[in-house]
Amino acid sequence: MALLRLRAALLGPGPLRGGGIPWSVLRTYSSVSAKEKARRNAVCERTELLEVLKARVKQLQASPGPEVTVSKAELAPLGLGRQQESPAPRQSTASPAQPSSWVEKLKREMYVRQAKVERKLSIAASKMTLVGQANAKVKVKAVPSTKVKVKAVPNAKVNVKAVPKPKAKAKPKAKKMPKETKAAAWSQSHAGPSSACSKPEVVEVKQDVKAEKPPNVPEKRESNHQKIMQQTIQSNLECLLCLQQPEEAERLLLLYHSSPMKRKLLTIGAYNIVMRSWARKGCLHRLNRVLSMLESAGLRPNLDSYAAVLECMGRGQACTKIIWRCVQQLKQDGFHVDELFQKCLFEGDEKETVLRAIRIVQPDYQLPPAPKPQTCKSALLNNFYSKEKVVSYPKLDFSVQELRERFQQQLEMELNSTITIQSVESTKPLTPQALRARKQLAALRAQWRGAILQALQKAKHNMSQKRTMSGYNSLYPYLCLLPDEEYVDIMMQILNTLSPQGESLSVLARELGSKVYDRYLTQRKLHSRQLEKVQEIYQDYIHLLAKDSQPGEYLPREYWEKLVAEAGYGPSLRLKDCSWPYVLLMRLGVYLLEILVHSVKVPRNTLKPRLESRLIPVLYHIYSFRSSWQVGLIKPHPIFSQLMSDAAETTLTFSSSVMPMLCPPIPWTSPHFGAFVLSDTKLMRYVDGAFQHQQLLDQCPQVNLHPVLDALNQLGNCAWKINQPVLDIIISIFNDKGNEKLDIPPPLSEAPKPPVSPGNSSAWHKSQKHELLLCKKKAAEMHSLRMDALYKLSIANHVRDKVFWFPHNMDFRGRTYPCPPYFNHLGNDVTRAILLFAEGRPLGPKGLDWLKIHLINLTGLKKKNSLQERLDYANEIMEEILDSADRPLTGRKWWMNTDEPWQVLACCMEIAQASRSPDPAAFVSHFPVHQDGSCNGLQHYAALGRDLIGAISVNLMPCSVPQDVYSAVAQQVEEFRKKDAAEGLKIAQVLEGFISRKVVKQTVMTVVYGVTRYGGRLQIEKRLKEIDEFPEEYLWEASHYLVRQVFNGIKEMFSATRDIQHWLTESAKLIAQSGQTVEWVTPMGLPIVQPYYRVRSTVLNSNMQNLSVKSSANTNQKPDTVKQKNAFPPNFIHSLDSTHMMLTALHCFRQGLTFVSVHDCYWTHALTVDVMNQICRQQFVALHSQKILQDLSKFMLKKYCSPSKDSRAPWQKKLMEQLSNVPETGEFNLSKVMDSTYFFS
Amino acid sequence: MRPARAPPGCGRLLAAGLRPLLGCPRPPPGRGVAGRWPSPGLRVPEAAEAERLVQEARRAGGPLRRFIACPRLARTVQRCLWAARGPQPVVLECGPGPGILTRTLLNAGVRVVALESHSAFLPNLQSLENSLDGQLKVIYGDFFRLDPLVTGTVKPPAVCSDKLFEAMGVAAVPWRADVPVKVFGILPQKKERNTLWRLLFILYECSSIFRYGRVELNIFISEKEYKVLTAKPGESRAYQALSVLCQVGCEIQLLHMEPWSSFVTNLKNKGLAVSKSMWLPNDHLCLVRLTPQRDLFSEGLKPTNSATFIFMVKQCLAKRKSRLTDRLNSWSLDNSGQLLKALEIPTDVETGNLYPEDYKRLFEALQNCSVFTESWFHDEVLESIRNINL
Repeated sequence: MALLRLRAALLGPGPLRGGGIPWSVLRTYSSVSAKEKARRNAVCERTELLEVLKARVKQLQASPGPEVTVSKAELAPLGLGRQQESPAPRQSTASPAQPSSWVEKLKREMYVRQAKVERKLSIAASKMTLVGQANAKVKVKAVPSTKVKVKAVPNAKVNVKAVPKPKAKAKPKAKKMPKETKAAAWSQSHAGPSSACSKPEVVEVKQDVKAEKPPNVPEKRESNHQKIMQQTIQSNLECLLCLQQPEEAERLLLLYHSSPMKRKLLTIGAYNIVMRSWARKGCLHRLNRVLSMLESAGLRPNLDSYAAVLECMGRGQACTKIIWRCVQQLKQDGFHVDELFQKCLFEGDEKETVLRAIRIVQPDYQLPPAPKPQTCKSALLNNFYSKEKVVSYPKLDFSVQELRERFQQQLEMELNSTITIQSVESTKPLTPQALRARKQLAALRAQWRGAILQALQKAKHNMSQKRTMSGYNSLYPYLCLLPDEEYVDIMMQILNTLSPQGESLSVLARELGSKVYDRYLTQRKLHSRQLEKVQEIYQDYIHLLAKDSQPGEYLPREYWEKLVAEAGYGPSLRLKDCSWPYVLLMRLGVYLLEILVHSVKVPRNTLKPRLESRLIPVLYHIYSFRSSWQVGLIKPHPIFSQLMSDAAETTLTFSSSVMPMLCPPIPWTSPHFGAFVLSDTKLMRYVDGAFQHQQLLDQCPQVNLHPVLDALNQLGNCAWKINQPVLDIIISIFNDKGNEKLDIPPPLSEAPKPPVSPGNSSAWHKSQKHELLLCKKKAAEMHSLRMDALYKLSIANHVRDKVFWFPHNMDFRGRTYPCPPYFNHLGNDVTRAILLFAEGRPLGPKGLDWLKIHLINLTGLKKKNSLQERLDYANEIMEEILDSADRPLTGRKWWMNTDEPWQVLACCMEIAQASRSPDPAAFVSHFPVHQDGSCNGLQHYAALGRDLIGAISVNLMPCSVPQDVYSAVAQQVEEFRKKDAAEGLKIAQVLEGFISRKVVKQTVMTVVYGVTRYGGRLQIEKRLKEIDEFPEEYLWEASHYLVRQVFNGIKEMFSATRDIQHWLTESAKLIAQSGQTVEWVTPMGLPIVQPYYRVRSTVLNSNMQNLSVKSSANTNQKPDTVKQKNAFPPNFIHSLDSTHMMLTALHCFRQGLTFVSVHDCYWTHALTVDVMNQICRQQFVALHSQKILQDLSKFMLKKYCSPSKDSRAPWQKKLMEQLSNVPETGEFNLSKVMDSTYFFS
Repeated sequence: MRPARAPPGCGRLLAAGLRPLLGCPRPPPGRGVAGRWPSPGLRVPEAAEAERLVQEARRAGGPLRRFIACPRLARTVQRCLWAARGPQPVVLECGPGPGILTRTLLNAGVRVVALESHSAFLPNLQSLENSLDGQLKVIYGDFFRLDPLVTGTVKPPAVCSDKLFEAMGVAAVPWRADVPVKVFGILPQKKERNTLWRLLFILYECSSIFRYGRVELNIFISEKEYKVLTAKPGESRAYQALSVLCQVGCEIQLLHMEPWSSFVTNLKNKGLAVSKSMWLPNDHLCLVRLTPQRDLFSEGLKPTNSATFIFMVKQCLAKRKSRLTDRLNSWSLDNSGQLLKALEIPTDVETGNLYPEDYKRLFEALQNCSVFTESWFHDEVLESIRNINL
């Protein structure tokens, strides 16, 4: 009713009403009450329909020709041909008295369109199988009732429409039935007099359908299905909004709106989008019609709707009275004008326009002040956020001007969306063969571009033709979003990076789809002026970081928020949510891939000019068979691969988001905003299609996320540079022949050559084939390793003279990762060795010693010795260290025989420089020194359970030498073995002398992360196999025995650990069994949900192949109990170790330290190692002083056993018992950690 | 799973010193039909006893297996195997287990080589072997682990076909000659599909057992697989690459259908463990005779290029609704229209509607087309070999 008033208010008695539609009538376009409807007179109904479809009528009149043919084509199979011959009324105005034939025609048109859309949706929206079957059943059942109606009521048109169309293409049987019925009903409808007053039946049929729905169809699934449909509809509408096609958008909306079944799919968001598209044009009366639809659907306008209305009024210069009424209505609905500017996300000039409209009625209206920034209340961070201890943010060694220039460079790179860089292979001389191949390739590429462009345009043309005929084609708007050339660019990129072994169709499709999506986002950011605003804010934000400017007492996030508030940019700079459903992304990708496969051709005689010239495809689609399933692959023709390898091109093209940033990243201020300037980055990484995490992050109070955001900003603000001497050595080896021992992958020319044998491959001997296969496999592996190294080194080489940044995000447990995927500090030994802190700090009194200890840690030589012994050893071998530093490739090469050779080499060089400097304490070092947690997972378990023996063996207790948990477990196992051997157990006797640290290490390490006996046995078997003397025939029995003993040993030593693990596992099992997913909140306030669901796949039809798309996650999907259960303990522990890391990061920042982490390995300057170590221990104690398990238990009890739920269910009682029964803890004194040297070392 | 180990002394069974069964045949004594042995008049144990034997063997472990335990069923199978007149080849019985069928066959005068993979059954069979005068040969080995692709020594129960045939004393005969050996076996359910693929593959390649001629397979397979093997074009779901290859390669005869319940399994709970079937009937095990086609290699198809044929058929039938021309075009054959016209195959035919014979004709025509033999296709073929030969 409120809406009715609003609309009445809007229109008032003014000219708009002249359209001639009483609102009361329009309202009945919906189907609130059948009785009420029945009472309405026919004239009213007709008028109403007329109004709604007026625009289409005009279109019809304007171009009757094509429309008629369309109808013929589309409807002839239904036996309706003769309807077209009926004299098309050409009266210029559709008078209310005789609208019926027009209305009919429109309806038919709509029906056809509807069917089209439905079919499309059935493909797009995933969940089909079960729901589809259930639906199909319902439909068939519903048919008889329709038939009855057809006989009873002469005009059955609308009835027929109400018969739900089969949704699943894959259900041909179910489909046929209703179709036939439809046809029959149609022809009947023409016999009878036609009129439009059949609304009541629509409702009734709908109700029938509902009533007949089998009770066992789970509503949940249905809503799940709907969710994706809704997403698809919204992204389609967004797309049309972007293309500025409000007519099309409204038409699409109407398609759903006019069918009672499908109207359910429309949310207020969908209507709002259409309203916004009219608002953008300033067409108030069209917007009004959408409002009337919105009302008839029984939805209430929200703030966004009002924003759209006001925007429209602001644009259209509506009269004061109308605006005034609208504002009144807004207030009556319980909103406030200020809220518009506080909560709505505006794009472009929307905000200014709304403001203008408001100022027409309230000339002195002032924008509301920005809300007061909130402060996180977490107990762990009280100190951190307290205003008394504010320190100024550490400055970078750059001026404001320099940082602005760097920002410009970064922006330019992102605007180009790709960057082409020289590969490190470019220094090699060019052979004539390569020159020739490059020339050929260049010519071919020009041809291909043309061919792809042509094919794309043709495809689009065909689609648009079809579009005017059938009204709608789902992919078409997505092919219009970007200039054609950009699609071609994207496809050419795929072609250029395709490996000779080919790539699976689904991977390529996904890549294509998401590339289009990324560019679309960039476009939107440009057009909505979002970029402009970001640029403006960033210019000021830089002052926080630059050395030559003032402001300081802010965190990056706080400062950014302050600037945004001052600029009056509303809630944030983020865009309205516009994500595309995964299935849609795939469909678009497959479509583009098809174009690519069909259009790219190469002359067959490119390499062998003797052959006749004929064009053959470059890409071919082929199936690869893996036991019972098949995978579709796209492979390049060997001619193409040969050409590519001959050309030995030395440029690489990357997406700009894989490069390190050239300026400090944009601080994370919300889950939707941060990191790169343009490239879309998720705060939390998750599998495709999962939206639980995002939902959870949006739902939780944003202030709770501040610590996490601040920690990520802190990690991302660390500036890096390249260790050039080490990089040069690595590149020289890479460009020579590689070195497998040093982890530099050799080039393909070093790959083993298969035995050359003449004749047909089929005639070969079995062993020859086998050997060939092995060679091929090896070559494929080498290729991928080589490419990976090439990417890393080339990126490093590209930024060798620059300072750069790695923006960070996290996985769903809070573990942090740098966003650029190839080159970052989480990489292998090689990549870590070429990274240095851009900021230098003097070594200070103890710095050189720390460098030396770090060096010995990297060699892996003195693990069981104390720090002093490691330092002494380093001093002892100083000569070797200096030799390695001075003559890395020509000297004694001591560094090569260590655990992490490249980092050792880099460290040797640093030590050499420092020790040779006149005052080592003043030597400015950029070198990161690492401190590793020893078996970090077990450390957290031991602390959780206050487990004394466990705590000692993982170094929570102070000790003079580091304890080695693996040796301890090995000892324990050895004791068990001795006992068993004495009792005469054969296998225990066989194992004498074989039990060592190495054998058990991997299993102990992974026990924390939930390795099973099965996996553990395989690990141990592998280790035993490596021992040559071990008798092979006992492998199985021995590994089986050992894994049991290792588990027993751990149980003995870490009793509390096993209890906690067991408690976590059991709790997760019961939760999952009750049909819910396991959720918890870290002590820092990050909400976590485990995204493991039973996978259901959807078949996506395309011309090339049917693609099964796994829609892995949905809110209402059933959880995968096994995964939920097995993964909970490790995930929980990871959420704790990430919390520990973030706490350490934040507090290190307060002390002015440079800090980065690789999960449980913390990096800082040599000068500040001691401070970092202290903070790390403090924070560990602080973290575990929280009642972590009790809090978890409380949270879960509240979440899963709240009294509002049906507490009588047996599972509920069991779950409650399980959750309340928190494991007991031991007597370990946590504060001891503070003095433990080897806790992190 | 603990690997089954060879029982002590079983290596002896494959020793070259064995007296070949066919190498120097004894003159048929007395009243026996030519090529037949006189019935030794062995007692055939009742079903209950056989079941007990199977259950005893179960304790030693091993994968799921199915056995003939009922003497009536054994007689039926024996009659099915022995329909024709004339000189009869030796029967290789794979996995005889408690030996019910073995005894029935022996009583009917058949020469039997029993290939048993489970050591628990061996002593029984061996004592039977010793009690007869060469009519039965017992060998330790697994027919379904014949000629493994892995390099290195072949560990029993995996067996090499040449060793096996040497022990049986059967020499290779030309392809067009008569059947040299009859094989009887029940396909292991878990790898039924894989085994069928493997058998077809070695058949097309003329390797392994088919190096010795057109070995006749009499195998019990599940009804659903039988339906697949004999499916006709257009039968949705059932008509697959396996159907085409089997129908081109072999003559398929259904000898007998027997409900699952007639067989004994080595499961703890004596369950039947019938594999599920969604679309096809699966109430029986079908005794099927697969006789390799005499004229399989008479035209363009040769053992040397047959891998390509298999590959082609698999590619075509991966999506049964795709058009044949599209497939051919995707292999760089732009004149596929002409080719199909010449073969009188409709150009718009879907791959799932093309007859097996037509696939063969198509392939033979393609052999003359140079594009088809270009290198990339062969690389793929090789990959597919690996996947079949696992």
